[in-house]
Amino acid sequence: MTQVRFVGQRFAAMVIIVLALAAAVFALQKMSPLDPVHARLGGQASQGAIAAERHALGLDKPIVTQFGHYLAGLVHGDLGDSYRTRRPVTTDLLAYVPATAELAASGLIIALVLAIAFAFASTLRVPGAALFRLGLMLGASVPTFLLGVFGILLFYQHFGWLPASGRTSIGNAPTGPTHLLTLDGLLHGRPDVTWDAIKHLLMPATAIALGPAVAIGRVLRSSLEGELGSDYVRTARAKGRSERQILLGHVVRNAIGAAVSMTGLQVGLMFAGVLVVEQVFGWPGLGLYIAESIPVADFPAIAGVTLLLGSAYVVINAAVDVIQAAADPRIRV
Amino acid sequence: MAVAEPFVAPRPAWRRPVSLDLRAPRTWSIIGASLFAVMTLIALAAPLLSPHDPLVPVGIPLAGPGHGGFLLGSDSIGRDVLSRCLYGMRASWFAALVVIAGGFLIGGLVGLVAGSSGGWIDNLLMRITDGFLALPAPVLAIAVVASLGPSFTHTLIAVSVVWWPFYARIVRGEISKLAARPHVEAARLAGAGRVRIAVRHLLPGALPAAVVTASLDVGNLVLALAGLSFLGLGQSAPAPELGADSARNLSLLLQQWWVPVVPGIAVAVLAVIANVAGDSVRNLIDPA
Repeated sequence: MTQVRFVGQRFAAMVIIVLALAAAVFALQKMSPLDPVHARLGGQASQGAIAAERHALGLDKPIVTQFGHYLAGLVHGDLGDSYRTRRPVTTDLLAYVPATAELAASGLIIALVLAIAFAFASTLRVPGAALFRLGLMLGASVPTFLLGVFGILLFYQHFGWLPASGRTSIGNAPTGPTHLLTLDGLLHGRPDVTWDAIKHLLMPATAIALGPAVAIGRVLRSSLEGELGSDYVRTARAKGRSERQILLGHVVRNAIGAAVSMTGLQVGLMFAGVLVVEQVFGWPGLGLYIAESIPVADFPAIAGVTLLLGSAYVVINAAVDVIQAAADPRIRV
Repeated sequence: MAVAEPFVAPRPAWRRPVSLDLRAPRTWSIIGASLFAVMTLIALAAPLLSPHDPLVPVGIPLAGPGHGGFLLGSDSIGRDVLSRCLYGMRASWFAALVVIAGGFLIGGLVGLVAGSSGGWIDNLLMRITDGFLALPAPVLAIAVVASLGPSFTHTLIAVSVVWWPFYARIVRGEISKLAARPHVEAARLAGAGRVRIAVRHLLPGALPAAVVTASLDVGNLVLALAGLSFLGLGQSAPAPELGADSARNLSLLLQQWWVPVVPGIAVAVLAVIANVAGDSVRNLIDPA
């Protein structure tokens, strides 16, 4: 019962925050000095045409009605039309999302692997852990775009191991059903496509992963060390279990909670990293879309990306909370 | 009958006499923390340190580092990369400090009001704060700048708008812990008003935690602002700005690597300095 109630409360909070985000984006649109009618018709439009367009867009209605209209549109997946591409923003986003989703997911996997390696290596005092730790710390102080740039100079120009731009170098790569090249390659029985996609993902994904890896790794390490000092660990040691058994069998389950929360929070940082790193690697995703929209003040497009990434972040963090509550009943109290 | 024990605060670390014993970790912390001042001085002195005008072509274009009289090379129209980086570091550093100050003031005020008044005001302010914290700050900042129109001031406003909630949470947490302390009750019984209690008896206790947070945050902000500038949300074209200078010259990477790389390294140097200084401030104020 409490479980159901917790999930319900978390879900309600999630909906409220997404609504607040929509309201904020709507308010920003209203505050913007750029007039959407002007943006659509250009400078030479006649008074009559402007009035007609205002009416067609519903801009002559009271602001509350406009907001209601806007929300109703959102529910139906209508984010308005882009000033630049003249297409519905939703259509544009659907074209760019898979590339970004694949990059962000790969970055998250790399961040988790590095964070776990970092936390365990320094808890178990593995030789060389200090060096590894220093490398990660330095990596986290370097801006994402510089990591990408160094990666290109080293692994593309110097060694020639990895490609420097785009998602794939294979011309007839499959275009469906998931639009994630790593998965589509496998589904179509084309391991070469998957392998090529992984090679393209490796550098940009690592560049966005280092910062979050350090943040998650730090939290995981400090909770591992905290748990290692507790009574049940002393009992397990007294029973003669090895450090390895204690760590994997007892400690990890108790220590993982804070790190999981941190992972959810780091997804926000990772989204920002994705937007930047896509410029460096010519990655055809949301970052490229938003970078092309910024100079021409294409607000509907920017608002669409903001709403999409913001909602994704809110949903991911709500899911993290629910999963954690299922794993550890103490959290629901 | 319960007797309140006299609460004697230990003398804070930064008020103890300074010794110059290089073996003491505290000496190193003081040196580290003074990096904030050193970096601010360097930023102020950028016009004196720069060998050339950052906006004017002064020699052959695309000269490599150490060639043509350019220590760190020249860019595609013959401007000095070193001078542009020094001016860019000045802009980044002050931008980070301004946003921190903004976040500190707004967040501090919200946290102070919420923590000291309690009740529905506290509830309302903290729900708003949580709402902001539940959204990805950098992404939100992009939308704010885009709606105001790209400019340096707008970027500063946008980042401050999304940055304060963190400070509000921390200050509110400290204040509500302090509010239960006997000295606050004593002040109330002595007839002190709400504002006086908040400012004289609660605020000083919440400051150390907020200062530690702020000093650890400078590095994050340097990186976040560089990212926004890289996306084109900063000063417009000729102005020297680290992120934008790197982004605009990416096409030169494989031939004239120094043009896009050096500004990026300048960002990293600023972030490392800020992180070392922030860590030192934490060690001084809150030696755990």
